[in-house]
Amino acid sequence: MILVIAEQREGKLNRASWEAMAAAQQAGGPVKVALLGSGDEPLAAELAAAEAAEVIVVDAAALGEYTADGQVAALAILIEQEQPGHVFFAHTYQTRDFAPVLATRLGRSLITDVTAIRQESGAMVFVRPVFQGKLNADVTAEGPAPHLVTIQIGAYRGDAAVRGASPAAIRKVEIAVDAAAVRQKPEAPFKEAKQAVDLSQAERIVAIGRGIKGQEHLKLAEDLAKAMGAEIAASRPICDSGWLPMDRQIGSSGQTVAPKLYVALGISGAIQHLVGMKGSKTIVAINKDPEAPIFEIADFGIAGDLFEVVPAMIAELNK
Amino acid sequence: MDRETLEVDVLIVGGGPAGMSAALRLAQLQKAQGGEPLAIAVLEKAREAGAHMLSGAMLDPSALRELIPDFKEKGAPVASEVHHEHVYFLTKNSKVPFPITPPPLQNHGNYVISLNRFVKWMSGLVEAEGIDLFAGFPASEVLYDGDRVVGVRTRDQGIDKHGAKKSTFEAGVEIRAKVTILCDGVRGNLTKAVVRRLALDEGRQPQLYAIGLKELWEVPKDRIKAGTVVHTLGYPLKREEFGGGFLYAMPDGVVSVGFVTGLDYRDPMFDPHLTFQHFKQHPAIAAILQGGQMVRYGAKALPEGGWHTIPRVYADGLLIAGDAGGFVNSMRLKGIHLAMRTGMLAAETAYEAIRARDTSAARLWKYEERIDASEVRRELYPVRNVHQSFGYGLVPGLMYSGLSLVTGGWWLKDPMPAHAGFDRMAEIAEYYGEHKLDVDAPVRPVKVDRQLTFDKLTNVHHSGTRHTEDQPSHLIVYDTNICSTRCRVEYGNPCTRFCPANVYEMVDAGDGTKRLQINASNCVHCKTCDIMDPYQVIDWVPPEGGGGPQYDGM
Repeated sequence: MILVIAEQREGKLNRASWEAMAAAQQAGGPVKVALLGSGDEPLAAELAAAEAAEVIVVDAAALGEYTADGQVAALAILIEQEQPGHVFFAHTYQTRDFAPVLATRLGRSLITDVTAIRQESGAMVFVRPVFQGKLNADVTAEGPAPHLVTIQIGAYRGDAAVRGASPAAIRKVEIAVDAAAVRQKPEAPFKEAKQAVDLSQAERIVAIGRGIKGQEHLKLAEDLAKAMGAEIAASRPICDSGWLPMDRQIGSSGQTVAPKLYVALGISGAIQHLVGMKGSKTIVAINKDPEAPIFEIADFGIAGDLFEVVPAMIAELNK
Repeated sequence: MDRETLEVDVLIVGGGPAGMSAALRLAQLQKAQGGEPLAIAVLEKAREAGAHMLSGAMLDPSALRELIPDFKEKGAPVASEVHHEHVYFLTKNSKVPFPITPPPLQNHGNYVISLNRFVKWMSGLVEAEGIDLFAGFPASEVLYDGDRVVGVRTRDQGIDKHGAKKSTFEAGVEIRAKVTILCDGVRGNLTKAVVRRLALDEGRQPQLYAIGLKELWEVPKDRIKAGTVVHTLGYPLKREEFGGGFLYAMPDGVVSVGFVTGLDYRDPMFDPHLTFQHFKQHPAIAAILQGGQMVRYGAKALPEGGWHTIPRVYADGLLIAGDAGGFVNSMRLKGIHLAMRTGMLAAETAYEAIRARDTSAARLWKYEERIDASEVRRELYPVRNVHQSFGYGLVPGLMYSGLSLVTGGWWLKDPMPAHAGFDRMAEIAEYYGEHKLDVDAPVRPVKVDRQLTFDKLTNVHHSGTRHTEDQPSHLIVYDTNICSTRCRVEYGNPCTRFCPANVYEMVDAGDGTKRLQINASNCVHCKTCDIMDPYQVIDWVPPEGGGGPQYDGM
């Protein structure tokens, strides 16, 4: 059995939880989903839509606000009770915060940032990137089950998670988490983080690069984004010039995204940018230079002047 | 500002082969002689030991054998012993083998290694001796008491790009020591400062440097036999330029390929990275790499001036070892064993001085005496004019070098006169005549196919380089006006070419002129800009701890 740990924050499910779910379903075998928090009934109902054996809700006051200690204490007990073969997490910031501690606490293997899974002579073989994504390594877990696995964001598609014919059973589990054992005291989230756009949650992104030439042309890209209902983002030179804030930067020194649609305007496609968006479902590139590397990964490419192409696109979208 | 202070007996700055050897030697002396245990600390700017190490690398195991006689039992990563060696003179489309392998390039008994794995292995031995190794802590300043060196200060952490303290601010620590051994590598920022302040280079020749670029490739396993070593001269360099290519084969189809060029070239439009691409396209090299995959990239300068350019390597409370002191044999293309050897000799000197309770220059002078009596002088003195002789061109250089094997390096004028490398760079008008030259376009362009040849940005990605983005630039250009005015006309902004990591870019200022943009987070810490900038207005200082390349297998 695979136990998928869903992630919530302030009453909202993290979109990547569905991706972990899809990974678990495709890996094969029965799947259970666990949700930790307090007062999360609506979220549990949302999760129950998935094709799963059951949804386990651990409702405890000590889990109301995320802390690594609380999470680890509750999950250690839950995993002990459920005896899953594997535990799947989405490779989110939160997972990165506590999963290593959990693995150490349980004395079990942890395989992180997994992009694909296949079965080989009865065992799961996990694929994870090494050398910054240049190579893929096949990894198998050693030691007794359960093995802990985190799934790279964007590697699986959340909407590919199979929905059940009828809602899965929801079971509440009482786990006493000793509030005194929680050493962290969470403070209010950073102001910065509040303002920052989380581009990884955007479904459509319009990204601009050097080809936009001047700050005064930004409006053109913004108009396209508006017409598409997309977030605006950029490659490094744009943010370096201060035309857009740093939190809109995509790439190895910015954010990693995997939207359904990524429109690259005047982006040549340096590898530093590509690693931040290559997981996008559909990539559309518009660039003057037909030799630009962005076209190697684009699903649709227009070798042309963005100042001619984009206004035409906006006009078409607004029809 | 209140700073924490740490007191030690010996402080080693820089965890490379010199620093690690010094630390191990100190531990050995301590064990053999007993007495009050010495407090020893090693500072290293990389996130983990070895991550900033880059070399060809060919290891002459002489110093290793002495320092760690059972190095094989201890698992030293020295897998491929040299079996086959070739030296070629390259013309544009063919290769001419040298009739015999010149003795200095004979490598039988040497090992092809990954320097960063080797140093990482050494760091394990150092830590097993209970020595404190502080990785991720760059030293930013030397501490003095008058003219006596009394330690270093580590860099403040958590400063944003405008110089304001972030929530993560941590003040640097003052580490005070009876003896400070600087092993901060080629053009080390502390060695540079201390040499200047204490005039340790008085009466010495200016140091000459080279820059080496290197890629690690994975090629089909049967392509080339492990332990094969190829060195080349000639193409794609012009006769006036010093340097050459190398290709070393390791087990499992891993190939180390690189190109070294003297940083004393005259052509202001010269681009070491493009030259490396031309080299890889040569049929002799392309045949080996074709169908393989480039997995890692890096670049580093190396000191090649030799014996007459080594500064005074001791002062009150101070010793200098390894590349920081310029201990490289440019004829044999080797320095790791000399770094290790000088690290060991520095350790022996420091140990005795501390036991004798006298760490003044008068006592630490024994370090120089030890060097003079050691293999280091026996090896470096006869080749003291080699790089300098290539200043007269490839043919005279080769002739002198051949001659020196017989004469022991004798020359009519000794030391052979030399200029600092940046001084030799010619102005555009002088080199190319008065006709109009587009300084933003390469003179010898290369078609980037992303299979065999790459642009700088793609290469930088494969160096694993990372820096905290929100910090002041660690490349300080004291006068950026020069860039858009004088330098543009006189030299055509050579920084945009000699930097192998695309740190320097001239971008449109919006008013028809260009301005310098520094992409500091691309920096692979090679130090070439600090060395080669013709106006000497660039200062390389260490970035926030842990920043820089993440070499693995290099």
